[in-house]
Amino acid sequence: MADEVLFELLHYEIVSHICNSSNEEDKASSISKLEALGYRIGLSLVERLTKDNPRFKDDLDTMKFICKDFWMTLYKKQIDNLRTNHQGVYVLQDNRFKLLTLISQGKQYMDMAPRYLAMPCGLIRGALSGLGIVSVVTAEVSAMPACKFQIQIQRL
Amino acid sequence: MSRQIGRSVDPKKVSGELFTLTYGALVSQLIKDYENEDDVNKQLDKMGYNIGVRLIEDFLARSNVGRCHDFRETADVISKVGFKMFLGITPVVTNWSPAGDEFSLLLENNPLTDFVELPDGHSNLSYSNIMCGVLRGALEMVQLDVDVRFEQDQLKGDNITEIRLKFIKRLEDAVPVGED
Amino acid sequence: MTIFNLYIFDRNGTCLYYTEWNRRNQSGISKEEEFKLMYGMILSIKSFCSRLSPTDLKDGFLSYRTSKYKLHFYETASGLKFILNTDINAGNMRDNIQQIYSNIYVENVIKNPECKLGQQITSELFQTKLDDYIRSLPQFATKLS
Repeated sequence: MADEVLFELLHYEIVSHICNSSNEEDKASSISKLEALGYRIGLSLVERLTKDNPRFKDDLDTMKFICKDFWMTLYKKQIDNLRTNHQGVYVLQDNRFKLLTLISQGKQYMDMAPRYLAMPCGLIRGALSGLGIVSVVTAEVSAMPACKFQIQIQRL
Repeated sequence: MSRQIGRSVDPKKVSGELFTLTYGALVSQLIKDYENEDDVNKQLDKMGYNIGVRLIEDFLARSNVGRCHDFRETADVISKVGFKMFLGITPVVTNWSPAGDEFSLLLENNPLTDFVELPDGHSNLSYSNIMCGVLRGALEMVQLDVDVRFEQDQLKGDNITEIRLKFIKRLEDAVPVGED
Repeated sequence: MTIFNLYIFDRNGTCLYYTEWNRRNQSGISKEEEFKLMYGMILSIKSFCSRLSPTDLKDGFLSYRTSKYKLHFYETASGLKFILNTDINAGNMRDNIQQIYSNIYVENVIKNPECKLGQQITSELFQTKLDDYIRSLPQFATKLS
């Protein structure tokens, strides 16, 4: 058990290290680096979280796990709203996303939001991949600290 | 139906696995980014420092600990309040130098290295080096210039993990130009 | 009763934040000059207080009072200095300043990675939280007639 402040500061420091060590034009690459880092963490974490659990019965069941238990482990709360078009697209809405709540409650620092969402996107993609679902995960913010994660399942 | 995973829910704590995995991912990223493992150690120390200078304020705000009278009291507070609060462990304070300006923290369980195994060929890597930076940064903010390094590390086959802290000097408040 | 203004200095003497509420008279010098003088005065009072003290000082300098205002001082172990000016009837504000430090500064500056340490605080969230807190205090309630 570690203290959450320590964990948040570690996350922020990783973000600042990766974003500041690359050049200005390299913004996209630092975002994808953060995403890949999150992916690896998500993959290992979900293995540990689900080792005693039976398989999930379908995609929706898996998404519910992400919204509840997985999110709880990561951010101490559940996703507030889950929607789907029943064609492989899921939208997870967090009204007070943990990593954004202390940064801003409005439009200030908006251009910085992608930095703090890259690792969480990777965490979701990694966890899903560990549960046998290949996906693309993106995040969208219109006013902090609310945030939407869109998951697009890739059929192979 | 919701699947319950039996985890104690302390609102101020995160799962140890998440923490250890996140730290592990950072270290492997740095190993990829730098050719030299000394540079990885330096980078970890620097990142730890940046964390330490912020963490100390949270520590002061939450613990209500005031200024320590001497280095022995500082050692006690680091172990019993600081480590306890942030990592849930209480390292043993020991191996004082005769002058009382150096001591060791002994960690039986290092939460950063739970289920971590160092592959061969990383003899120069100080895996948990971020801790040195955190301690250095935090202490600097309370006017203590302290040298911090790993003396022994279970990851490298030692029996115990030992962090050595050496007091260098007390830092003074900045006095603006033109003042006495 | 009322609250006039607040200064936050870091241990290098940088004024991280300044804001005012019911301050009607200005000092007639630039803000930069005023910050410098304030910081210098605090350092001098601190050192003078501890030099004059007949026994070991615990908290050191806490406040002074004139016929028109009272200056409250709080310093953290990390050298952050909070200076709050109120009218003379405000009583002890130490707990309140401690609240500003632990619940507003630490929560909204220290834990906000977009707030760089040692630089002026520009976070709107911090400003709003601080303003709400000060305005909610009973000491703020009645304005000067």
